[in-house]
Amino acid sequence: MNPYVPILAIGAIGFGFAVFSVAIAFITGPKRYNRAKADAYECGIEPSPSAAGGGRFPVKYFLTAMLFIVFDIEIVFLYPWAVTFDQLGLFGLVEMILFIATVFVAYTYVWRRGGLEWD
Amino acid sequence: MNIANYLYLSALLFTIGSIGVVLRRNSIVVFMCIELMLNAANLAFVTFSRINGNLDGQVVAFFTMVVAACEVVVGLAIIVTIFRSRRSASVDDASLLNR
Amino acid sequence: MLTTPSFEYLLLSPMLIILAAAVIGVLAEAFLDRNHLPVIQLFISVGAILLALIQIYRIKSSSSTSAAIGSVVIDKATIYLQGTILIIGLLALLLISDQEQFVAQASAIPGSREEQESTSKGSIQTEIYPLLSFALAGMMLFTCASDLITLFVALEVFSLPLYLLAGLSRRRRLLSQEAALKYFLLGAYSSAFFLFGAAFLYGISGSVYLVDISSAVSGGYGNDVFVLIGLIFISVGLLFKISAVPFHAWTPDVYQGAPTSVTAFMAAATKVAAFGAILRIFYVVFSPIANQWRPIISVIAIITMVFGSAVAIAQRDVKRMLAYSSIAHAGFILTAVLALNKSGLSAALFYLTTYGLSTLAAFGIITLIRDATGEVTDLNKWAGLGKKSPLIAGSFAFLLLSFAGIPLTSGFIGKFAIFSAAYETGNIAVVVFGVLSSALAAFFYIRVILLMFVAQSQNDSISIAIPSVKSRIAIGATTAATVILGLFPSLLLNITQSFSIFIK
Repeated sequence: MNPYVPILAIGAIGFGFAVFSVAIAFITGPKRYNRAKADAYECGIEPSPSAAGGGRFPVKYFLTAMLFIVFDIEIVFLYPWAVTFDQLGLFGLVEMILFIATVFVAYTYVWRRGGLEWD
Repeated sequence: MNIANYLYLSALLFTIGSIGVVLRRNSIVVFMCIELMLNAANLAFVTFSRINGNLDGQVVAFFTMVVAACEVVVGLAIIVTIFRSRRSASVDDASLLNR
Repeated sequence: MLTTPSFEYLLLSPMLIILAAAVIGVLAEAFLDRNHLPVIQLFISVGAILLALIQIYRIKSSSSTSAAIGSVVIDKATIYLQGTILIIGLLALLLISDQEQFVAQASAIPGSREEQESTSKGSIQTEIYPLLSFALAGMMLFTCASDLITLFVALEVFSLPLYLLAGLSRRRRLLSQEAALKYFLLGAYSSAFFLFGAAFLYGISGSVYLVDISSAVSGGYGNDVFVLIGLIFISVGLLFKISAVPFHAWTPDVYQGAPTSVTAFMAAATKVAAFGAILRIFYVVFSPIANQWRPIISVIAIITMVFGSAVAIAQRDVKRMLAYSSIAHAGFILTAVLALNKSGLSAALFYLTTYGLSTLAAFGIITLIRDATGEVTDLNKWAGLGKKSPLIAGSFAFLLLSFAGIPLTSGFIGKFAIFSAAYETGNIAVVVFGVLSSALAAFFYIRVILLMFVAQSQNDSISIAIPSVKSRIAIGATTAATVILGLFPSLLLNITQSFSIFIK
């Protein structure tokens, strides 16, 4: 069988799912128009030329951004493993579990010490 | 295209970064210049990886990215603490220790 | 097809134990009751260091280049350096565990109500213990790293916690935060240089392993401009860590601003770790092209010794004075790097140990001299200390004599070993400048001793804190080591001679 057939099938299923979801929401969903609906992505903070409170972002934005960066970047170590995980076998799996457990320890520290609380 | 050009670019970026560290006054900008130097080193690693025909250099680039991210977190934490203490991020204002 | 990598866990176990202790410490921070944390954290850290020391003893005669797929070399010198770092870490931990020097809550703004509240509640930033463990593990890895990635990662693993620790002083918090900022910015600057140099060494050799770089360097690439770029940039990064002279600007500020017990750890352990890596890199990788770098490093060693000794004279602050003295000592140890022979390596190992222990003792004593506002580091206020407490002032005077290299102290034996190793290789100029600058240094050490014992005290505000048991053990043990190693140097010299072996 041509190896591209499954990929095409996945593509078709994905396309079908997207069309189906949008269509079913359009047909069955309630239609209430208000201000939030007009926002980008229908959520989040209204975009404005300057930050709230006179041009400076509160420090908690930086805190969240820093936490995001440091946890996000750890993903680069998963890519090489994803490419070779069948060759590395059990060893690779154990090493990766250890690695993720270590990252998770850092995460629980941040969570328990209140680093994720917004206010 | 001549692959050595990437090395010239890398050296140029590194120079811009190191001059920025010496000349700029805002500690955040100084810090961004240091990040530029790290990225210049990364570019050199990736270029050499291509020249040498093995992947070691790209592996180093991965590690450098992670280390740089950790450095960002530690550095911004220090800079934000200082800023909250004295409402200034200028490296010239941090001169209590030179008296 | 990839082969599954293999590890020799026994040889790596000292580092793994310390790293595991650091991770467990972070977990403890997350979940345990904050009232019991100081005791628990101290227990975890001390336990891990003791366990790691036992493991070091068990592997003391092994050596392997394949402990971690060639990224780590365990040889005699590594084991010696790791043991030294652990002992320094253990003693520094005893000083650090008198936590009153540390800020109650690092995120509170100095002078704010939030800060007063957390201070009066007696809360403590117990993160210092995991941070210290991470720094220790990084230093141990730095001494045995044998590829560029491991070197760079280890450099950062031990530097990043130190940047934070430098900013955690309870008193004079603005100074402390400023010290952290300077240390961080300059440290990150220097590691960028290190990385750029590493890129060029990878470029000429096509490999990140020091063995391959070494054979590429000796195999005809000796004059290649890429080798020289790599050599110079990597050296800048490393010389920064040991605070050799053109790259020393951070040292006095950071030593002065950081909490004194952290300064003690930093001054002693960072030097051991950084010189471990410098010795390995220059002995293993760059020794074939010694003619290219010897003149540069000789000049740096000379100006480091002379500058450190000369500027120390002008200092009015005892922590800054010791900072400049540590710069001068970096110059002396660089002389051993220049020697490039077994006696040079052995002398460097001896010097690092004795210097590290004396430095710990000296900074430990500084933590005891206080007045109403905290530690007194202004030298003028130290006048007349000899009458108040002959024991403390006498010990400090003895440590200063050891720094100066007066006979019958361990400092003298170290300097003698280093200069004779340098003399063997015909490096007369460096030896002459070394002896001259230690004579110069002796002046200002003796000036401080005269100040303590002869000068009249102008004010009676200073007092000597009664040391806790932990501080007493740390200061007592390190001072005793300085005395014993001065009287019976062969105890340690025999060990360093048999452990001064680098393998490729």
